[in-house]
Amino acid sequence: MNATYIQNSIAQLKTEIFMDVRHRTLQKYTGVPVLDENQLFYLLIPFLNGEEWQQEQQEAAITVGIVYAALAAHDHIKEVDATSKEQQLTVLAGDFYSGRYYEILAMSGNVALIKSLSKGIVSRCEHQIKVYEDEQRSIEQWYASMRNIDAGLIAQFFGLYSFSEYIPLIEKSLLILRLEREWAAHQRGQMSLIGKALEERIRQNGATFHSVIQEKIVHLKTELSQMVDHASFLQSDVKQALHAHVEASIASTNG
Amino acid sequence: MEKMKLKLLYSDLKSDIDIIERELEKAVDSSSYLINDASLHLLQAGGKRIRPIFVLLGAKFGDYDIEKMKDVAVPLELIHMASLVHDDVIDDSNMRRGRPTVKSQWNNRVAMYTGDFIFARALEYITKLEDPLVHQILARTMVEICNGEVIQIEDKFRLDQGLKDYFRRIKRKTALLISSSCELGAVAAGVDPKTVRHLKRFGYFVGMSFQIIDDVLDIMATDKELGKPAGSDLLQGNITLPILLLKDDPEMQPYLVKVFAGTLTEPERQNMLQYVRKSHAIEQANRMSDKYLKKALQEIDALPKHPVKKKLRDVALFMGKRKF
Repeated sequence: MNATYIQNSIAQLKTEIFMDVRHRTLQKYTGVPVLDENQLFYLLIPFLNGEEWQQEQQEAAITVGIVYAALAAHDHIKEVDATSKEQQLTVLAGDFYSGRYYEILAMSGNVALIKSLSKGIVSRCEHQIKVYEDEQRSIEQWYASMRNIDAGLIAQFFGLYSFSEYIPLIEKSLLILRLEREWAAHQRGQMSLIGKALEERIRQNGATFHSVIQEKIVHLKTELSQMVDHASFLQSDVKQALHAHVEASIASTNG
Repeated sequence: MEKMKLKLLYSDLKSDIDIIERELEKAVDSSSYLINDASLHLLQAGGKRIRPIFVLLGAKFGDYDIEKMKDVAVPLELIHMASLVHDDVIDDSNMRRGRPTVKSQWNNRVAMYTGDFIFARALEYITKLEDPLVHQILARTMVEICNGEVIQIEDKFRLDQGLKDYFRRIKRKTALLISSSCELGAVAAGVDPKTVRHLKRFGYFVGMSFQIIDDVLDIMATDKELGKPAGSDLLQGNITLPILLLKDDPEMQPYLVKVFAGTLTEPERQNMLQYVRKSHAIEQANRMSDKYLKKALQEIDALPKHPVKKKLRDVALFMGKRKF
């Protein structure tokens, strides 16, 4: 397995997601669905590692991608004045994608995955809305929210298909990438709401955002590295791919 | 008065409706206090709960068990609620049923997350039923509702549309979910396919009649009764049946020009409403609603003999003749 094979697998998944949610009007006004290639990469890790991956697992991965696209569409809605046609149709794009994931799984009778993903969406919404709540939250709680937002739905899928041992790996990896993104956005003054909430909490604790984030990233990377090296279920080329992916993503975020 | 009539109409289902109300509260229970507040804010605004009612009535033709039926009725009401929260963002509506909307009380993002949460809870709830057919019916309906909403946005402020466009829109916007409510209640209760078909068609016709009346009421009712300014549909660019029937009327034209330009003053809104209220369009729209209602009643006639047929008729007639 080389980088081209991984890229082709991600590209194929992306194409299948696009095909399943294509809609002439929505595409005209809102573009193609927003997909995070990092999430798609981690979604495919069991497949890349040679786990049993039939049509059912591929379809499940597609629907997880569709759900992320649905929720990402709604993340693009402005807090006030979403009255432009593009914004109105972005609301509907998210709803349409949600309907499509449900329809795809309903047609194949995969009620168990509908249930798991619904639970995942419920939990993700609860974490996302935390930025609007007054409640005091610790730094660790904000990390937990980031972890849930980025990896929670993949974890639901992995849990259902007996890929549970991959969950800590993808949670750590995606959190490292999220923190790197937040740090880069911080330097440009364009942090996400959750990044701002984390920064505020760190400031209240009397520390600096830079030191806490960098320390956390180093810590997570060390843990991830050990975890990958000791994971007997991972093939050696997948271990390499996991190490390389984190480094490459960080380089592209910073560069 | 109207609400009293509705309560009386539902009186023999009261204990089951109370179960559903309690389940709705449980269903929106969340670890986020903000989602809890926003969801309860929606629930407490009330609503006619017509979708759960039709689930229950449809199920009466089969093996009726409220413990099972609530797993269909609750998600259908939740899906309706979630779509209202998102619709208010799309329409930039500040009031619904006389209360501030979620998006106006908090903001659009809170409304998006609340809607997504409620929608996901609906699906989580309905997965208690494992019959794939139930999910296929509901999923197709949800996708179609969404397609209808996309078309509605495309048709906004467009007067070059006909009755066919309007009926296609309201079918997806309202009639499909009511139709599916009747169908799903029946399917979940193991009703025979022929009866399911009649119930589905009954729900469709009632839904069409219901939406036409809703559009008429948007003109005829007062701001207070509606809990929002009368004529809101048109002000938001939605061309409903009464307006469609008047679009070529020379006296209506100046109002439409101002509505589309966003320059209609408050006195002009009042004058416009007066004009539409006295016009032939209201009577014509009511006649069209009656035609659908009549078709709905014909579907009831085709159903097997059952005491619940009278209830279906009463509810349909109430929906088609309601004043709020």
